Amino acid sequence: MKKLAFIALAIALAAFVAVPLIGQTAAQKANLAASLKIDTSKLLSADNQLLLAPSTDNRKVPKRPADPNKLPETDPLHWYDMEWAGWNVKPTNIPKSPMTGAIGKKVIFIVHGDHPWTTACILGAQKVADAYQMEFKALSPNWDKVVQDQMIDQAIAEKPDMILLIPLDAKGAVQQARKINQAKIPLHLFNMLPDAAALNYSLGWTGPDDFGQFRLLARAWADELRKRNPGAKSIGVAYVQHAPGGSPFFARSFGPISELAGYAKEIKTLVAASPTPATFDANTTMQLVSDWITKYGDDLKGICASDDSAQALGIFEALEKAGRNDIVVVAAGNSKQGMDLVKDGKLFGITYQTAEGDGALSVQYAADWFNGKKLAVRQNLAQHIITAEDVEGFYPPQW
Amino acid sequence: MSDNRGPAPDGATDGAATAQADTRSVKTGSLSSLVNTAGVYGIALLFLVLGAVLQFTGAIGNFLSPQNLLNIVDAVALVGIVAVGMSFVTYSGNYADMSVPTTMGLTGYICIELLRYGFIPAIIGAIGVSLLIGVLNGFVVGKFKANPIIWTLAVNYVTMGIIRLVWVNKQIYPDMKGSSPDVVALFDAIYRLRFFKLIGLPLVILILLVVIGQFVLTKTSFGVKLKLTGSAPKAAKLSGIPIETVIMTSFVLAAFTAAIAGLAVTSLSRVGAWYNGAGYDFKAVTAIVIGGMTLAGGRGTILGVLGGSLIIGILNNIMTLIGIGTFSQDMVRGAIFILVVGINAKSLRSLGRDDA
Amino acid sequence: MRRSGKINFLAQGDKYRIYILFVVIFGFMSIFAPKFFSVFNFTTILNAIAMNATVAIGFTVVMICGQLDLSIGTVITFAGCLTLGLQPLLGFPGSIAVAVLGGALVGFLNGILVAKAKINSFIVTLGTMTILQGAIYQYSGGNSISVTTDEAFAISDFLQVSLLPLLTPRILITLILVVAVEFMLRRTRAGRNFYIVGGNRNTAWLAGINTDRYLIGAFVLSSVMAAIGGVVSVLVSTAATLKLGEISLMYVISATIIGGTAMSGGKGGVLRSVIAILSLEMLYTGIILFGLGNEVKIFFAGLILAYVVLYEAYATYRHEKNLGQRPELMKELATRLSTKEKKLLGSRGA
Repeated sequence: MKKLAFIALAIALAAFVAVPLIGQTAAQKANLAASLKIDTSKLLSADNQLLLAPSTDNRKVPKRPADPNKLPETDPLHWYDMEWAGWNVKPTNIPKSPMTGAIGKKVIFIVHGDHPWTTACILGAQKVADAYQMEFKALSPNWDKVVQDQMIDQAIAEKPDMILLIPLDAKGAVQQARKINQAKIPLHLFNMLPDAAALNYSLGWTGPDDFGQFRLLARAWADELRKRNPGAKSIGVAYVQHAPGGSPFFARSFGPISELAGYAKEIKTLVAASPTPATFDANTTMQLVSDWITKYGDDLKGICASDDSAQALGIFEALEKAGRNDIVVVAAGNSKQGMDLVKDGKLFGITYQTAEGDGALSVQYAADWFNGKKLAVRQNLAQHIITAEDVEGFYPPQW
Repeated sequence: MSDNRGPAPDGATDGAATAQADTRSVKTGSLSSLVNTAGVYGIALLFLVLGAVLQFTGAIGNFLSPQNLLNIVDAVALVGIVAVGMSFVTYSGNYADMSVPTTMGLTGYICIELLRYGFIPAIIGAIGVSLLIGVLNGFVVGKFKANPIIWTLAVNYVTMGIIRLVWVNKQIYPDMKGSSPDVVALFDAIYRLRFFKLIGLPLVILILLVVIGQFVLTKTSFGVKLKLTGSAPKAAKLSGIPIETVIMTSFVLAAFTAAIAGLAVTSLSRVGAWYNGAGYDFKAVTAIVIGGMTLAGGRGTILGVLGGSLIIGILNNIMTLIGIGTFSQDMVRGAIFILVVGINAKSLRSLGRDDA
Repeated sequence: MRRSGKINFLAQGDKYRIYILFVVIFGFMSIFAPKFFSVFNFTTILNAIAMNATVAIGFTVVMICGQLDLSIGTVITFAGCLTLGLQPLLGFPGSIAVAVLGGALVGFLNGILVAKAKINSFIVTLGTMTILQGAIYQYSGGNSISVTTDEAFAISDFLQVSLLPLLTPRILITLILVVAVEFMLRRTRAGRNFYIVGGNRNTAWLAGINTDRYLIGAFVLSSVMAAIGGVVSVLVSTAATLKLGEISLMYVISATIIGGTAMSGGKGGVLRSVIAILSLEMLYTGIILFGLGNEVKIFFAGLILAYVVLYEAYATYRHEKNLGQRPELMKELATRLSTKEKKLLGSRGA
């Protein structure tokens, strides 16, 4: 009798503990099912493109050379750690998906700084977050890493379900990611491809594959250069670089340089420089390019710019002054000014850099993770080169 | 008594020496300014000769070609425009106007917004709003003698905040505000218009401003008042010069040229953005000071400021033609800046003309 | 009697202005800003100001000497780059030593050019700022520098360990430097001499002070503090970004002015600058906690700066205007004058 009563008590106790647990799980399951039903694939960005377009890049990941730095800068593998960051991660205490569905989850979205691009990026992220009814909070440190570190501390204290972060600096991201990882909060990095070590502490990375985009752009550019200079043994080109201190500085100049070293050997780099002290000032770029035209004259056949607005406008101002319309110019895109230049037949091509899609893909990644989908560590944004043929389809501009 | 306090700062004289009459500034006047200006153009000439020598030795090509020389002046036109106006502030003894960057940015925003009412109203409106910033700066600095650098820095912050609040962190485009295409084309031409397909409008404006500025500074009563205000504000006040008005005018002039440069930058980059004028404050100060204007005020010429801008332009040009990377160019620029200004200050001092 | 009392009060109000601002911002944010009042939040604020507060120490001394140091921002970044860039070669002690000594060298050059070559400090430091900017890019090759060894992580973790609530080694370093320099300025003869040099260089020289030595000392101190700020900062973040000190220059200048150190020299204090930085940071954090954007931050920072400049200028303006006037005498005379004369006087007095 005594034994029976004890067993009964035990069962009652177990039930008391288990029922809410099972009940909770049931609610979570329902939430998961509801979350999985949400379809974000039809969402559009302001330029009437699909907000979440899958990447079209199907290049194979090469093997990492023993010491990439020993290879020459013209060798694509020299840039291995920057270009292919994320494919050889050693996951460190990465949290497992709770499989409880994305609906109602709280995410904190920390960007790099204020810029019209960022405004569009947050808008895109908000669209996906709204679709999943997530609690979405965006923070901007205004380009100050000290403030970003502080925001990360505050975000950790809020114990969100996930932190989404554009690191202000590729290498500074390592310690930031490590800190969030130690606080046992899931972290997803996006847009700025961080140092490979940072990805050890994060679920993954989504964003534009700057190197890949520029390899694509370089090939289109090289084809056009060949077309305009048939049979030329040597075609001189110049690179207007991005501001130093991040992967765009390298990807947007050494990406094409190393690509063309294999693809079009006759294309020779005459010069690569970042306009100082104001990298994105049209007047400064104009001065630099004017001087290049003086220095290299007719040897200069192409210019690749890391920005299609102020830099590109400065370049064309210099070209017009010199009466040079034979120079093929390509740039990273896609600002309104850049698209206008493409439409006017001035810029030959620009890369499609969706700001809204960048933010949206990162939140989609978070949602997929909450939904328990199996995810690659790295997802690139769709790659596309906008030329005069299809530029009309990308209006109105996102920012 | 062992004196281990080092050499005396300028103006500090022990006992008896003070009894001596100070004759140092007797021979100043037009001669001093001439020497000063010639000095600046001497340096510019030195750089030109350097470029020519490099060309003849084959180190660089095409330096002396008309196109290259035109490129040099084109490149410094915008900085020159800002510098001419700001040099009045420097001349009045108030260092610099740090609110220039957002003044430039704001001008762009206002002009683009007003383009729908026509080109001329837009230009007038945009410049008018910028002049208000100049009036505010001039009033506070002139009347209450607030520190000009810090005050204008504060105004720069506040204006930046206002721009971004009003336009909710967006940049605006001239052709997306419902203005007629003709007006937009006119706006686009502010920077791009070229006379005889050679001389750009900004360059013409710069030359006009330099001529007018030089005239105002040397031939008008305002110029005299400004000189006295800049070199000896207390004496100026005691002799009945309305230094408040004089200082305010100099800030309004600075805002005026910043507005013009702001319109040109906005026209060039085809966008109204809060970061449009970034960096022009220090660039202009550099040109002004290399041009022989002393931060102490009351000394220098507008022609000298033009020369200062040209020196920067020629230097950049030669360095790029030689093939010096832009990062090393920064270092050379900084070193030459200190050197030129240092030599200038030293020569003025050794002539007994200046202590700044 | 009343007059002197009033001036005293004004002077006192001026002296405590920054502390009043601190209390007002602290009180307002504690009551209204969500999640502001917590040990955790205060720790993040202190961490955030550690670098700029260190930099402000030296910068304030330069300002007390009546000079300006525009090179601090690039010195921060340069020292940071050297610390991590040379670490694989020299180890942390060696690379830190080189970074700080490098800073001292920059300060020495600034000081020599200002004191001996007598070039305006605005110009000298604008020049060194440009030179260092190029040197940073050249040295780093355009990429930020990081050290991600276990040793680097260990140092980083150590600097952020909580010794007491609100107190980490990183904050302690700043605190010690602030107290040391504040003590030097207030309690030692050398410290007071900085004020005399800043107040009037000629008077200082006539009083037997080696003005050049103090000027050079101030610039060395400024650059060394900037370097230390940069070094500690990169040790915590294990990465030296090329924009590390970019924002610091304007931030530190604003805070020093708000703290009550006059640009004309001879006045101010290190602690006050640091309190100003703390106040600004609390304001910024509060604004972010309210969910407002950076444009609001910039706007308020500008407004506070404008208010302080205007207030000080206005106080001087009033003081100069009233200088030599004797209201009591006028009042006494007024009682003995006829109404007609009173009217005349009244119209004048107003």
